[in-house]
Amino acid sequence: MSIRVLNPNAEVLNKSSALHMNINAARGLQDVLKTNLGPKGTIKMLVGGAGDIKITKDGNTLLKEMQIQNPTAIMIARTAVAQDDTSGDGTTSTVLFIGELMKQSERCIGEGMHPRVLVDGFDIAKRATLEFLERFKTPVVMGDAPDKEILKMVARTTLRTKLYETLADQLTDIVVNAVLCIRKHDEPIDLFMVEIMHMRHKFDVDTRLVEGLVLDHGSRHPDMKRRVENCYILTCNVSLEYDKSEINAGFFYSNAEQRENMVAAERRQVDERVQKIIELKNKVCSGTDKNFVVINQKGIDPPSLDLLARAGIVALRRAKRRNMERLVLACGGEAVNSVEGLTEDSLGWAGLVYEHVLGEEKYTFVENVKNPHSCTILIKGPNDHTIAQIKDAVRDGLRSVKNTIEDEAVVLGAGAFEVAARQHLITNVKKTVQGRAQLGVEAFADALLVVPKTLAENSGLDTQDVIIALTGEHDRGNVVGLNQQTGEPIDPRMEGIFDNYSVKRQIINSGPVIASQLLLVDEVIRAGRNMRKPS
Amino acid sequence: MREIVTIQVGDFANYIGSHFWNFQDELLGLAEDPHGDSIFRSSSLNMDVLYRTGETHQGIPTYNPRLISIGLQGSLGSLSSTGSLYTSDPDPSDIITWSGNVSRYASEPQQKNLFLQTLYEEQTGPSAVSNDADVVSPTLQREVHDKDRVECLEKGVQYWTDFSKVQYHPRSLYELHSSWTDVKQFDNYGTGKDVLSEGLQGEEMNERMRLFVEECDHVQGIQFILDDSGGFSGVAAEYLENIADEYTNTPVLLYTVRDPHAYIHAKSQKDSITRSLHDAVSFSTLSSYCKLMVPIGLPSLSRSKLSSTLHVEDQKLFHCSAVYAAALHSISIPFRMDMRGPTVNTAYVSGAVDVGGIIQMLAGQGRQNMVATLDVAMPAPSLTGSILRSLNSLTPEVEEDVDDSQALESLITHGMLHAGRRASLSEVNDSIVAAYDCEMSKPKFSHASVSLCPLPIPLPFPSIFRSCVGRQGELLETPTEMTQTKGSLDIDSIPMAARLRSSRAVMPLIMKRLENLRKFGMQRGALGGGLLQNWGFGREEIEDMGEVMAKMVMQLDPHSQGSSGSDWD
Repeated sequence: MSIRVLNPNAEVLNKSSALHMNINAARGLQDVLKTNLGPKGTIKMLVGGAGDIKITKDGNTLLKEMQIQNPTAIMIARTAVAQDDTSGDGTTSTVLFIGELMKQSERCIGEGMHPRVLVDGFDIAKRATLEFLERFKTPVVMGDAPDKEILKMVARTTLRTKLYETLADQLTDIVVNAVLCIRKHDEPIDLFMVEIMHMRHKFDVDTRLVEGLVLDHGSRHPDMKRRVENCYILTCNVSLEYDKSEINAGFFYSNAEQRENMVAAERRQVDERVQKIIELKNKVCSGTDKNFVVINQKGIDPPSLDLLARAGIVALRRAKRRNMERLVLACGGEAVNSVEGLTEDSLGWAGLVYEHVLGEEKYTFVENVKNPHSCTILIKGPNDHTIAQIKDAVRDGLRSVKNTIEDEAVVLGAGAFEVAARQHLITNVKKTVQGRAQLGVEAFADALLVVPKTLAENSGLDTQDVIIALTGEHDRGNVVGLNQQTGEPIDPRMEGIFDNYSVKRQIINSGPVIASQLLLVDEVIRAGRNMRKPS
Repeated sequence: MREIVTIQVGDFANYIGSHFWNFQDELLGLAEDPHGDSIFRSSSLNMDVLYRTGETHQGIPTYNPRLISIGLQGSLGSLSSTGSLYTSDPDPSDIITWSGNVSRYASEPQQKNLFLQTLYEEQTGPSAVSNDADVVSPTLQREVHDKDRVECLEKGVQYWTDFSKVQYHPRSLYELHSSWTDVKQFDNYGTGKDVLSEGLQGEEMNERMRLFVEECDHVQGIQFILDDSGGFSGVAAEYLENIADEYTNTPVLLYTVRDPHAYIHAKSQKDSITRSLHDAVSFSTLSSYCKLMVPIGLPSLSRSKLSSTLHVEDQKLFHCSAVYAAALHSISIPFRMDMRGPTVNTAYVSGAVDVGGIIQMLAGQGRQNMVATLDVAMPAPSLTGSILRSLNSLTPEVEEDVDDSQALESLITHGMLHAGRRASLSEVNDSIVAAYDCEMSKPKFSHASVSLCPLPIPLPFPSIFRSCVGRQGELLETPTEMTQTKGSLDIDSIPMAARLRSSRAVMPLIMKRLENLRKFGMQRGALGGGLLQNWGFGREEIEDMGEVMAKMVMQLDPHSQGSSGSDWD
């Protein structure tokens, strides 16, 4: 073989062992992730060599933490992670589905079927399933006032797979309200306008929605007030610190006096900028009980802080770039890049601004804003890994709400869709297919059942009983899912278990693509490392 | 007070940083030691420039480096990325977010070496250490102990954290997460860029930076140490781009460092092209985001002129990083001299200048050459010899002893000795003037900063001094009959001299990168064209890079071959 001529150390796996390697890798990954699935899954605690702890129930996070080396497994993992990037959830399901497709294929190929035929069957089944999904989905009308209940149900379904019930239910309201807060009619939802802020607090586990903004810094002057009410907010990106803006040639001074003069001249420019802000403050606030808060993306040095403090202004420096946008959405006004021609119209408004100090960490709350289009989810937790896990869950919850609004549809969960789709494939689609590709359709249909099967397994139920009960109900024309407590069929609609349409669609789409690619591999050539070594 | 933010990116940069902060920690310790050398107590060096004060949730005050260190996941060894300072969690393994099953996967705990163990015990108070203390006197036992500690470091340092005695702030250490990328493949500009595009890693790095800067009243500059031999170049370029964007007027002093392993011959032609292009691309990109660039890292310190006083084992990163860290420490001395204007000198320091000042001096005047070389004398000789003659270059690929009347330089000496005692400021300054007078060709401009405070040698410093170096770093006329090298137990402190120099000497370094870029990246049908495309560079960007470098060469030598780009087309 030519590759041997080119590199005598290259390792070549022939067709059957290449296939075997791919199937094993897919199943290996499936085995690791399957306990994650559903509200009865197992949470995983990862302890690093230096004692660092991570806890996760999210397939996406877990995959990223794993030191995967097997090339096939990496390929699957990348697909699954991409799934998360595009739709926000479904990593675990993708891995399970690919694994199960490979498992079913192994059986068929063992019986002498050619992978090519199998892949053709997959392709037909995939298209049929996607069509079926279009009919099966539950449309949701969004309009001006979305049905909050359905959004809550979707969010709850997602969150309950990541956090225990009480916590998940608490977060459900928060994520739904957060998304509705930032939603603007006829504009795509930008989830970045929801700030997720955390506080490490020894005993407190609490998450709340702040209608307004929480900044992770405070004022840097002892005389500035820690709590102000009825505030104008100036959001700006203006340097209020003295710096030698452009390094100039007149760097060396013949005497100290000359240097002082130079510094004073440059200082004056900064002071003038500060003065402009103070003038505006006096104009809008004097004679009233109103206050003035400056939130600046650039720096503010101590002399400037002094001037501002003396004028009764609260000033924060080095705000997040993204907060410039958020502040304007929350408080109104505009983010200004220059203090020239400042008017009252540029200012935002907040009913209350106050500071909260935790050790060296300071937080500034900007609250009681009118008509906010940006908000903050504030997470309190006792340690970093707990906070990180809640944060991940919140992100997933937000995505699920956003997806629902954008999809204008949801899909019945608890395995109902998978069982229904399988039944459709077996009873309606299979017949229309010529020849052996039928077996591919069948394999695909059986692979779909991996979701209810795994849900049952994770709940400690007998998978066969569950599948028989579920398919039986579907045969009678009842669309049911799995009750994970009892193992009985339930109506997901009644229980409020809904999944995202786009997530399901993405899983059905990408799973078979990867599986097909892996099945059609003729040879694996690898120069360098030994790939038979278990990863 | 003018703060400096230090950023370390990449493994070797962190090795150097680890030594660098050990020096600072030692200085802090000595300043508080009533029995120590008085020079450390009144050094007139302001540590707040590099350090930040903070407070834990329990209200305990803290004092940590104002540092962001970036490495690959797993490069921290036995050190937890959040440090131990701010965590006081009673039971972190308690899972409060899930009521169902829990499965626990624990990797093998990283063993702390003897040095770290004893450090830990010192911090938590004496525990089971003093089992047989009643037999031996405590001081004696301690010395024996120190010997073991030094030895354990000499025998095996695997991670840069193995010899670090500094407590880091929980926001300081950041581990880059590169899903399923082999560490060995993290060796070029492209992979670095890819890693940052994953998730919110770039944003997290920027956030950490912002929080450190927010605390500062007036940042004087950013000291950026980068291991530019691999993927970290790409990471740093993105980071620097953001810094240039967000902190436009804050000067960045960039040290690009390389360990000796980076010079091992490439295995194949493909590897060597990748490497050449990587060097060219990262050099040119990085130079556009900083104000002054200092490439350091020789292929072999043991074959450099420094080997007359130092015995460095090149393959040990622990050894060579110590030398570079000492040099960086010296360069940073003028930045933290108590600034009362350049004309006012105290009895302990003279020639204070801030980061912006140094950059202005070297890159802002004359030819505006922004690539400087770093020379060092370690330990510096006594004042009887010429300081200038004793300097050795730490910058690779430079022309030795280049005669350049346009050169600009900044010389820093600290802790110089004269006739067996510490020399006074005026003595040192006079000697520097005399040294420049003796030179055949004088630089166009030179600046000298002098401090009396020598470089303290902390315990975890490697044993790299030859026997001719004395306890105070003096060079002994009659070397003691010791074949072994000396380390921190034999030497307390050493005088240092370091120089940043902007001169024609860097020509070969730039030329080589420019030529490689032309040869492998720009020529029609060049072998590396596809590679550059993979890294996300279009043809125009590559041509711009070429132009930038050609311009650098032109500035250094208007008559050079730098403009002869037509040769390659």
